[in-house]
Amino acid sequence: MSLQVLIFSLLAGVSILGALGVVIARNPVHSAIGLVLSFLNVAAIYLIARAEFLAVVQVIVYAGAVIVLVVFVTMLVHPDDLPEFHGRRPLRVATGLLLGGALLLEVAAAILTRNLSGVPGPWTDQTISLIGGNTRALGQTLYSDYMLAIQLTALLLLAATIGAIVLARPEAVSERVMAARRTLTISLAHPRGLDQPELPPALPLPPDGQVKPAGGGRSIVLARSASEFTEQPAWGEWRTP
Amino acid sequence: MSELSATHFLLLSAALFIIGMVGVLTRRNVLVIFMCIELMLNAVNVSLIGFAWELHQLTGQVFALFVIAIAAAEAVVGLGIVMALTRRADTVDIDELRQLRE
Repeated sequence: MSLQVLIFSLLAGVSILGALGVVIARNPVHSAIGLVLSFLNVAAIYLIARAEFLAVVQVIVYAGAVIVLVVFVTMLVHPDDLPEFHGRRPLRVATGLLLGGALLLEVAAAILTRNLSGVPGPWTDQTISLIGGNTRALGQTLYSDYMLAIQLTALLLLAATIGAIVLARPEAVSERVMAARRTLTISLAHPRGLDQPELPPALPLPPDGQVKPAGGGRSIVLARSASEFTEQPAWGEWRTP
Repeated sequence: MSELSATHFLLLSAALFIIGMVGVLTRRNVLVIFMCIELMLNAVNVSLIGFAWELHQLTGQVFALFVIAIAAAEAVVGLGIVMALTRRADTVDIDELRQLRE
């Protein structure tokens, strides 16, 4: 076993451990840490395969940008609502492990018995160092043979940016009202007599601004104006269990 | 197996991919499922680069670069969807998100 195989096995082992940590950890932040570990070790494996530029891109894009996004969103999501606390599904876990094991056996058998080999290309270490390094060779290939593809990728990134802005933009009041009307009845009026203190109110004032009628399943939200509605908590918190 | 070959890269790639697949199949948290998808995309990159290294080609590296770009775009849109989801349904549990079925 050569030194190269030994180093590769070490990096691959830590990378697989990180990947296992992603799946096993119950807290999503711990999963993200396992993901960083896996990505960094894979970047080192790219260095063994003489793909220096891709190793750098891996660290910047995956271990940097994507993980930062994931951690940000994990912090924005309600931590109380993380579903891993509500019990496991043993049947699903067993099915997943069974399918994964079967696929691993199949793929390993296919890999270990493969006898196809391609025609070696021109990019040996000598020719790459002659042209000025991996990054330059990759750039020349990218901007000559893959010109259209890289422009389409730029377009895709632009579309993804616009899509993310549209998805993450805060909801307008009218959209919140529309969404709330699907599950709630919004009463823009109010129980008779509330604004006239000398008259007793017709309905008892609900403690949190909402009443639940005895017959129907829909809650009634009392809002005398739009600002009074928007001061209420988000409509999702009114869901009937 | 004594010398480093594309077989090592392929085995690592298969292991990472299948760990990611098991995660997608077993976990219920949308965020963890999303991370497992990233893991699977990364595993594909490993095998592409392994082949590129063995065959002295740059095409595999170019493909891996495109996969990384598309994974970044997918990350942005996917996390935007998670944000919109938590705002509308207030949960990240995929078992509770069944509006399309009911």
